[in-house]
Amino acid sequence: MRRGKPRAGGDRNDASAGTHADELNLLIDGAHNYAIYMLDPAGHVTIWNMGAERLKGWSEAEVLGRHTSLFYPSDQIAEGKPEADLAAARKHGRLEEEAWRMRADGSEFLAHITITALYDESGKLRGFGKVIRDVTEQRAVERALKASAAHLESILSTVPDAMVVIDARGRILSFSKAAEELFGISEAEIVGANVNLLMPQPDRAQHDGYIRHYLETGERRIIGIGRTVTGRRRDGTTFPMDLFVGEAIADGERVFTGFIRDLTEKQATEQRVDELRSDLVHSARISAMGTMASTLAHELNQPITAVANYMEAIRDLLATPNPDDLPMIREALDDAASEAIRAGQIVRRLREFVARGDIEKTVEDLPSLIKEAAELALLGAREKGISARFDLDSTATPVLVDRVQTQQVLINLMRNAVEAMSEVAERQLVVSTRDDEHGFVRVTVADTGPGVEEQVAGDLFRAFNSTKAGGMGLGLSICRTIIEASGGRIWMEPREGGGTLFHFSLVKVGGEEGDA
Amino acid sequence: MPERRMIHIVDDEDAIRRSASFMLKTSGFDVQTWASGVLFLKEVRSVEPGCILLDVRMPEMDGLEVQQALSASGIAMPVIVLTGHGDISIAVRAMKAGAVDFIEKPFEKAKLLDAIEAGFAQLDDKAGRATRAHDASTAIAALTDRERDVLEGLAQGLPNKTIAYDLGISPRTVDVHRANLMTKLNVRTLSDALRLAFAAGLGGSDE
Repeated sequence: MRRGKPRAGGDRNDASAGTHADELNLLIDGAHNYAIYMLDPAGHVTIWNMGAERLKGWSEAEVLGRHTSLFYPSDQIAEGKPEADLAAARKHGRLEEEAWRMRADGSEFLAHITITALYDESGKLRGFGKVIRDVTEQRAVERALKASAAHLESILSTVPDAMVVIDARGRILSFSKAAEELFGISEAEIVGANVNLLMPQPDRAQHDGYIRHYLETGERRIIGIGRTVTGRRRDGTTFPMDLFVGEAIADGERVFTGFIRDLTEKQATEQRVDELRSDLVHSARISAMGTMASTLAHELNQPITAVANYMEAIRDLLATPNPDDLPMIREALDDAASEAIRAGQIVRRLREFVARGDIEKTVEDLPSLIKEAAELALLGAREKGISARFDLDSTATPVLVDRVQTQQVLINLMRNAVEAMSEVAERQLVVSTRDDEHGFVRVTVADTGPGVEEQVAGDLFRAFNSTKAGGMGLGLSICRTIIEASGGRIWMEPREGGGTLFHFSLVKVGGEEGDA
Repeated sequence: MPERRMIHIVDDEDAIRRSASFMLKTSGFDVQTWASGVLFLKEVRSVEPGCILLDVRMPEMDGLEVQQALSASGIAMPVIVLTGHGDISIAVRAMKAGAVDFIEKPFEKAKLLDAIEAGFAQLDDKAGRATRAHDASTAIAALTDRERDVLEGLAQGLPNKTIAYDLGISPRTVDVHRANLMTKLNVRTLSDALRLAFAAGLGGSDE
């Protein structure tokens, strides 16, 4: 109210009444976000506060005496709502609703409206008090909140990862649709149950302890880290899964949210890839032995020849038995036996080498692994005038490797070295081992050959790249496949003074990162 | 045997040296063993003459190189070449260079003794060489042209397939000619046939 309205002062006409009326006017005008105004019994505006001017846009002068229908949208006027509202207020004493109302500029707003019928002491209707608040924005925010909650819910119901929320005692609070499908249990069935229902032993018995341990120590073993664990379906079957757990405090309650990804398929794929790689590597072994066939035949021939020689000689000696010959015969038999065993050993190495074993990492003593590989790799090398030396560090062991595959790498590198030195005067092969950084052991195969040409060096470990006439170019790429699959690396560098050094690294057991 | 005759075994394989040595010693020979051709060549002028069992595959100097070095320095001891496995071209080269015989490991004792006997016969009968060459030429003259072609091919160390290709005939036909010429020459083994061929001067066109 710009000015005091005598009509608002009521019947009492004394000074204090006037003061009270002024204060009331100030209060009413000060109600910023509220339009407060009065209508006469017929619905015409009689009092208009500043809040009403601010909210609706009409000045007091423009609006005094106008009918309340001014504030209604046209469609509501057509329905007779202005009159109906007043009638309802008269009938019930008060009408409260949220409805769209007009501003002076023609725009609409969502109004929270209270219409109160006012009666004088004699019970005669004096008019209506209206209090109006713009709730457009508030409702919009509320709607947005509701929408985003619904949005979140729809996301959670469709994410492929199963989601399980539990409280600090391990009781399940919520169980997503994906979780229902994964575990074969409905949310309704499982909410309130202990989450350990979803795990096999021994986790099942220990899970409450895990939570307690975390709550007491704050030590995180899975929260925020994630790890691969085993889940248990309703039917008791188990499956590998990735579990990520987040922690939140909601309404003062600690809750844990677990996201679960089923790894069954992923592991099956990985296993298939492993099998294929193992097949490839195995084929390479067979092929490597194929190229060694002539050498192998020659090497096997030697002990077999020796045995045959001894046997025929002894047979003929025994044709005319003479006790004096016995010590000599015994010695010859000893020799023959050890030659037969030597032949058998070559065959056994060969058989182990070409066998299709499962890829299996075991803890191996590196020096003996290298010596065994050399038994095959250096067959025939001595006849080629090659001297081999082993410089094996007794502390750079043991290693965690697939034995046969690692020997395959060694054999490949050693035979390459032997071949590389066929045309040079100095023919020395040195295999050495040293501790390398970060829990690795480095194995080096050095030759005194002509070295690797620079333009070839870059592609050395790529498949189907060969500098040999009959080579498929698979040897070194298979070596790389094997070494990298076991976590190491393989590389080449020129040797000082001529020749080549091939290095590769293997995971050392008990090294810095030995069990990482 | 009236006196024990000397056999020199030159092989880098310890097992072969020991076992062959045992076999030959128990058969009445004296044996000296040599771990490499180089060692043997160094001492050859002062050793007791005898038959040489020479391994082909050896480090430093292979058997053929040792054989060449021997003939280059005028050592007339008979050489029997030991090959690891059927490497015909090496055996032929050895025969051409004058080896008495070639023997594949593992070998039968009887076969080795036969070869050694032939070796000593050759050592004892150097004068017989000319006679043998004459006899060989006579025997070979009895062959057909085709059989002589096949023998020539064999003497050059060529495999059957190559001989067939060169002559424009099938490998089967080469086999037939080979069997026929061996019958006509009255020999049992390829090395016998080759010995005759070399004695008659065949196989000399290459190298």
